[in-house]
Amino acid sequence: MGVNDGIRDNTNYSTIPEGARPTLEKNDAFFTKKRFGFIFNEEKKTKEVYKEITKVQDLLSPGNSACLGCHAELALRTTLRILGPNTILAIPPGCMGGIGAVGFNGGAGAKIPVFFPLLDNTAAMLAGIKRKYIREGRGDINVVAFAGDGGTADAGFQSLSGAAERGENIIYICYDNEAYMNTGVQRSGTTPKWSWTQTTPVGEQTHGKSQKGKDMPMIMAQHNIPYVATANPSYMHDYIAKLKKAMKVKNGMSYIHLYSGCPTGWKFPTEKTIEVGKLAVETNLYPLWEYEDGKFRLTYEVLKRRPISEYTESMQKYSHLTEQNLAELQQNVDANYKRFKKLCKI
Amino acid sequence: MGKVDVLNGNKAAAWGAKLARADLMAAYPITPQTPLVEYLASFVADGVIDADLVEVESEHSALSVLQGGVLAGARTFTGTSSQGLALMYEPYIRTSTMRLPIVMALVTREVISPQTVWGGQQDAVTVRDAGWIQIWCESSQEILDSIVQAYKIAENKDVLLPVNVCYDGFSLSHMAERVEIPDQKLVDQFLPKPNITHVKLDPNNPIAVDPLTPGPMLTEFRHKQVTAMHMSKKIIEEVRQEWLEMFGRDYGGLIDLYRMEDAEIALVCLGSPAGTARVAIDEMRNHGIKVGMIRIRVLRPFPDEEIRKALVNIKAIGVIDRNVSFAKGMGISFLELKTVFGGLKMPPMIDFIGGLGGSDVTMEQIKQAIVITQHVAEGGEFQEVTWFGLDKIDVETLFSMDKDRSLKLKGVSG
Ligand SMILES: Cc1ncc(C[n+]2csc(CCOP(=O)(O)OP(=O)(O)O)c2C)c(N)n1
Ligand SMILES: [Mg+2]
Repeated sequence: MGVNDGIRDNTNYSTIPEGARPTLEKNDAFFTKKRFGFIFNEEKKTKEVYKEITKVQDLLSPGNSACLGCHAELALRTTLRILGPNTILAIPPGCMGGIGAVGFNGGAGAKIPVFFPLLDNTAAMLAGIKRKYIREGRGDINVVAFAGDGGTADAGFQSLSGAAERGENIIYICYDNEAYMNTGVQRSGTTPKWSWTQTTPVGEQTHGKSQKGKDMPMIMAQHNIPYVATANPSYMHDYIAKLKKAMKVKNGMSYIHLYSGCPTGWKFPTEKTIEVGKLAVETNLYPLWEYEDGKFRLTYEVLKRRPISEYTESMQKYSHLTEQNLAELQQNVDANYKRFKKLCKI
Repeated sequence: MGKVDVLNGNKAAAWGAKLARADLMAAYPITPQTPLVEYLASFVADGVIDADLVEVESEHSALSVLQGGVLAGARTFTGTSSQGLALMYEPYIRTSTMRLPIVMALVTREVISPQTVWGGQQDAVTVRDAGWIQIWCESSQEILDSIVQAYKIAENKDVLLPVNVCYDGFSLSHMAERVEIPDQKLVDQFLPKPNITHVKLDPNNPIAVDPLTPGPMLTEFRHKQVTAMHMSKKIIEEVRQEWLEMFGRDYGGLIDLYRMEDAEIALVCLGSPAGTARVAIDEMRNHGIKVGMIRIRVLRPFPDEEIRKALVNIKAIGVIDRNVSFAKGMGISFLELKTVFGGLKMPPMIDFIGGLGGSDVTMEQIKQAIVITQHVAEGGEFQEVTWFGLDKIDVETLFSMDKDRSLKLKGVSG
């Protein structure tokens, strides 16, 4: 497996690996239209949204080297379609830069102005760009970051927090794949407890990451910026509605935290990305919410949450979890969700 | 018409940025640059400057904001010192490799440790190979003038490199003197609006800035950058001439010579010690020592040919360094000067290290340096590197063989 010894695992996970249980199988007796009609409604909405976005130009250059099943690449493509051509895009070092979204060998990675900031100055560079365009009366240009969790919650946090506090009018999207994936799956500040990564191995003395991850979207909400949302590319219509809201903000920063499944780093079959993403929401692990005018709101209510084990069993980064771990995790998920519901009532 | 005021170095720098019409600024306070940030803030508050001043949370972000500004076409300004420069290093080196014509006041200061907030030059000399042009000043007037000139150099299409206008913390940043503030209209004539297009991010003309670049292409890119640095020598001279014609002031372009016409020995100085050296030189000439000075005004690009030419008839060279190199335990100017002669025969050269951590390079020390250099010029022996304050310098003994001179130098030795 490689999860136990910290050595890079080169297994091809495009087929279902041992121990990973496939999710949302069509023949799942539990998963009936009657029981989960709302999911079919979701699918309908998704279809509608795809109809809408395929009418506009794909602004990412054709051909990039993203892994099969990359959630973030899917999200980036859609993001650019919604943002449209009047956009300046920053992609700091990380997978999206690595796949060539900025460009490679003299070629451009996107059909809009795009550049590499540093891993840790994305928000500051964007602030400079936006300030100058506002001075020139072109404040309508979307000035946007598409940054990983490392570039956001760790190295880039200082400049992001500073820009949020100063009310810089930029759109900051963090795609959170819960580790430094571009450098080969090392822990980040958002890596959840017990996750296996190359730097939080499972060994005689260790059991994956021993600390909990940072709650980035909540931290950004505590900056009191005009708009904060969580989103998930498996719920594209929800994300698109949020992105459109973020684009309307003129009095400060808008921040979207995008859950981003990673088959390579989390070790699940590449064709399961959308389903894994859905489980993250349906287990209440990563609820979809937004924060606007000081109020929190769930944008998607899960009627009957699924047990967290369905999520953890869908990928191998949690394959070492014990019954006890799972019980504790379930407790945490439920407590967090309850707390969040309370927050929505304030 | 311009006007005359009494300005310290930091305020002169703020005036320079104002006259250059920098429209995006960001800075983070650090001693001894702090008053510069405050002057900028008050200039913006009073409408003297029409610019966005971004109150960033660090130097790293200060320079990053400016980088973004340049990508959107802004003329930008910042300043920092010592630890601020150290924190800024990541975007700092990238400013030159991205060819962004940013101008930054570098209010030079000692680096910690030991903990210190006082003057020195170690911060600036340490980054001399990060690809920035470095102009070193000697007075408030020169600071103001050099900042305006710096934009003209940086934005030249054959250059497109960032410029540091360096001035010694406290000895220049906090020292007030008479400054002529030139007329804005005249400065506008000298320095037209910026037109930076090579990295412009504009939805009307989309380009990718700084995509992943393979080695061979990068090599070509780096070669162009080095060529541009070399090219800037010519542009610095041109800008010097134009400034002289329009404003009547001149600091030398790359090097500034003082009483070198008939000099037999030369001092080489960088930054504030040059001011003291001028007075010391005048005095020592009264004692019959034919000494002159080369002030290195531009440390990058390094004016090797210019210095070699100026040293052609010189019998010995004494270098004053407010900084050290860890390569050979000598000062940076000294180390750089050694490259001037290459394989050619060079006159004997000795180095004096002083003024570290805010200690003064005193008149007495400079006079000692002159005496020792003269001694070496006459064939005498002396250690290659002398640390003022640490090494005991016995000038009397040095000249004891020559009673005549010993008498003449009375009151000079330390
Ligand atoms: C200052 C600095 N330190 C380290 C790196 C090396 N580095 C490049 S990408 C990366 C990880 C980025 O992780 P994340 O932001 O989560 O993006 P992902 O690769 O997961 O898409 C690191 C550490 C860097 N580019 N800059
Ligand atoms: Mg990541």
